[in-house]
Amino acid sequence: MSMHLDPEGYQPPKMGLLLLQGVVALLFLCFSLRFWFLQIHKGEDFARLARENRLRQERVYAPRGLLRAADGELLAENRPAYALGLVREDCKDIASTIAQISHWTNIPVETLWAKYFKDKPKVKPFEPLVLAPDIPFDLLAQIESNLILWPGLEIVVRPRRHYLQGPLFAHILGYVAEANEKELEGDSDLDLGDSVGKQGLELVLDTRLRGEKGLRQLEVDVMGRRLSRKEVLEPKAGESVKLSLDLGLQQIAYKQLEGQAGGIVVMDPDSGKLLALVTSPSYDNNAFASGLSGKQWAELRDDPYFPLQNRVIQSVYPPGSVWKILMAGLLLKEGVDPRESVHCNGEFYLGKTLFRCWKKHGHGRMDMARSLIESCDVYYYEMINRVGIDKVEAFARANGFGEQTGLGLPHERSGLVPSRDWKRKRFGESWQRGETVITAIGQGFTLTTPVQIACFISSLMNGGKLMQPSLLADAEPVVRRTTPLTEPQRAFLLKAMQDTVEDPRGTAKRLLTKGADIGGKTGTAQVVKLKFKNNDERVKNEDMEYWERDHAWMAAWGAKDGQRYVVVCMVEHGGGGSSVAGPVVKNIFDYLFDGKDGDDDGV
Amino acid sequence: MAFDRRLLTHMNWALILSAVTIFLVGVMNLYSASSSMSEEGIALGTYYQKQLVWGGIGLLCMIGVMLVDYRHLRSLAWPIFLLAIILLAMVPIAGKTIYGAKRWISLGFMNLQPSEIAKIATILIAAKLLARSPKPLEWKEFFQVLIICAIPAAFILKQPDLGTTLNMLLNVGGIILFRGLSKGVFRTCIVALPACLPLGWMFMKDYQKQRVLTFLNPGEDPLGSGYHIIQSQIAIGSGQMWGKGFLEGTQSQLRFLPEKHTDFAIAVFGEEWGFVGCIILLALICLFLLSIFNTARDAKDRFGSFLSAGVFFYFFWQFLINMGMVMGLMPVVGIPLPFISYGGSAMLVNFCLIGLVVNVSMRRFVFKTN
Repeated sequence: MSMHLDPEGYQPPKMGLLLLQGVVALLFLCFSLRFWFLQIHKGEDFARLARENRLRQERVYAPRGLLRAADGELLAENRPAYALGLVREDCKDIASTIAQISHWTNIPVETLWAKYFKDKPKVKPFEPLVLAPDIPFDLLAQIESNLILWPGLEIVVRPRRHYLQGPLFAHILGYVAEANEKELEGDSDLDLGDSVGKQGLELVLDTRLRGEKGLRQLEVDVMGRRLSRKEVLEPKAGESVKLSLDLGLQQIAYKQLEGQAGGIVVMDPDSGKLLALVTSPSYDNNAFASGLSGKQWAELRDDPYFPLQNRVIQSVYPPGSVWKILMAGLLLKEGVDPRESVHCNGEFYLGKTLFRCWKKHGHGRMDMARSLIESCDVYYYEMINRVGIDKVEAFARANGFGEQTGLGLPHERSGLVPSRDWKRKRFGESWQRGETVITAIGQGFTLTTPVQIACFISSLMNGGKLMQPSLLADAEPVVRRTTPLTEPQRAFLLKAMQDTVEDPRGTAKRLLTKGADIGGKTGTAQVVKLKFKNNDERVKNEDMEYWERDHAWMAAWGAKDGQRYVVVCMVEHGGGGSSVAGPVVKNIFDYLFDGKDGDDDGV
Repeated sequence: MAFDRRLLTHMNWALILSAVTIFLVGVMNLYSASSSMSEEGIALGTYYQKQLVWGGIGLLCMIGVMLVDYRHLRSLAWPIFLLAIILLAMVPIAGKTIYGAKRWISLGFMNLQPSEIAKIATILIAAKLLARSPKPLEWKEFFQVLIICAIPAAFILKQPDLGTTLNMLLNVGGIILFRGLSKGVFRTCIVALPACLPLGWMFMKDYQKQRVLTFLNPGEDPLGSGYHIIQSQIAIGSGQMWGKGFLEGTQSQLRFLPEKHTDFAIAVFGEEWGFVGCIILLALICLFLLSIFNTARDAKDRFGSFLSAGVFFYFFWQFLINMGMVMGLMPVVGIPLPFISYGGSAMLVNFCLIGLVVNVSMRRFVFKTN
């Protein structure tokens, strides 16, 4: 290794040395001046800020966007809620302060300590750690006047969601509640104690409704008392959203289902906008916003009538005779002459298996229109048996069954359109012809949601467009697909439905309304296999256990002076479609066309 | 070989003593900064003890570096540089992610940060390359040095670690300035540097841009980096003339001040020791830098001189940027204060670099025969 040295008398670069000395001098000068500026010149100010007053940052909550009904009526607003927070840094004696909180609020000391230790790592020492999230208003004054004795304790005011219509819109609006660990981790905009949408539109529209938090700079003294505050960053309120639902209509519809389980859909067939979306029984979503107790939650969850279930989208039912409209459409598409008739004597044999018409002694000769008007089963047994299950499946799917309608609420079910493949996969068995026969009248495996039915009826009215139903007033109409039926075929079906209302023997004649065109189709969907008494006499619904009674359906459309509506009503275990669902739909049309909110029980 | 007494007599004692003094001030400061943190349930109170251990190991490393004649290092500059690059290249493949950045290679008993080795290696290689000729730098050599040093910098930028990248390039820039630029290069650089600023802006990450914007307007992000600046200024400023006294700083003791044991350590010092303490510390830092300067001036060969200049700039930039940032004179960049901020590997590197300088100073009268 060579150890050569530079020629003797090496001189470092002069400029370089000057540079090095220069920067050291500059460093010293600049920072001396800066220290002088901060510590001597501004020292008093900073010392004041540090000694007596300290700067703190406080989040300013952005008001969550309001939710309104179509006519502007308020559905969800924000009200102040008062919580008791503990600022650890200002608190002299945490144990006795917690004991005092317990004394005021009756919350057990152990509960408070548990919350304290759970949230401590997540809350800065100079930020309030909320221990009692909801102080009743009458306690507030008493606590507030004593607060001075308890340094570190403060009343934290936070907006709380309030739903003005409670159960009426509970399933649609959903609710907000405190963000959980997972939500906090997944969203950096959220802080401990923030509310987020958990269900319904509150969940779906959460980012729109939430707004942006602001920031406030506080000067606080050593006791944590606020001396001044300055908005550093204005909060941005969340966007307010108007729904397409009509408050009055929703109220009428909800009243119709009082004491019953079921659902109602009212839809504008042309835009897909929902005007009413009712499910019964319901619950009060305010309970969730203020924090549900374990007992309350258990009651809701274990209620045998499932109030948490949104029956128009989350529940699936056999469609019963309402399905016959679709089946008639299929027959038309398959080229069956509507004038071709089938003789109904009340019985249909497939091989040796007997299928009965609901009318014991039969309807006589039935063509397609009459089979709808009088809701004859045998006609469909016979005709659909010819067509086969594969065509039924394809046609049902083409009309939007077996898939979600996409109306924009979480947990929508897609229903079930049975097929050979499906049965093989599900049961490992091949399809039986008898199953085709019962599928023809909307029994068997077929399952639909009320909203799917509403979309299908709408497509008959609006030129074959299967709309995506929407709940928002400003939503652009979305056409999901076009159904395979031709205009004359759709017109035929609508006319048959109208005749079902207007014909003396029509099953939906209860809907008859002066001055309006109304068409309807009833449905009575069996929940259990037909029960027969004394060999031949069918057991009446009234004599059955509630859980075994039939579901009552009514799917209807109405038009008057350019107003067009589709109304679908489903009453769980309600009995006959005509007698139970019929009056409900009639009352809704009366309100829609005449503004009547009378309670015609139709008897 | 008989031990040459001149090695001891010519040792840069001022440098070693000033470094150790600053280090001890740092430990004391860390004791204060971390004394209030233990309440959080994490045993942060042991920070100063760890720092003492690292300092001890650092001193041993320094002695180790002093033992090898720096002119050997001149020959070893390339192998060391290549090793650093290989280690850097391994980071994206075998690296360990901490705080969202991949900067470490796990050796089992410790996490090795290759960028720390790269810092030393880059100073060595830049000193070696630039020491080849005494004349002011011309274009060809300028680009040569720049391109070679840009290789490790690019790896580190990718990690991402803007602070270290910046530090590394500024060191090289410093040595280049120390050697001197030819007029043509100098003039072009004066014009080109400001022109590069928008380009640099384009390559910055959003949070980095945010810091610059925050610096220009601290009210913009009062909860983020703006918060640090505001709080550290309050802490320093409230120290006034004599300070609040050791362990008495209300701002730092009451946890208003973030990262007070690492990047914002000087704020704790400023609050507790006041203007007088700060000026003394500042003088100590200048003394420390001037001791390195002395070695650069008195070195017997260009490599030793340039090496010392490189180390000089290495410390200079860190003092400048860290203090500038804490005192609100510069945007917030994550650069620690040498010997004062908490951090083990930085401490090792610092003492190694001092070892290099002492190495140069102690051998300025030693002549070796082949």
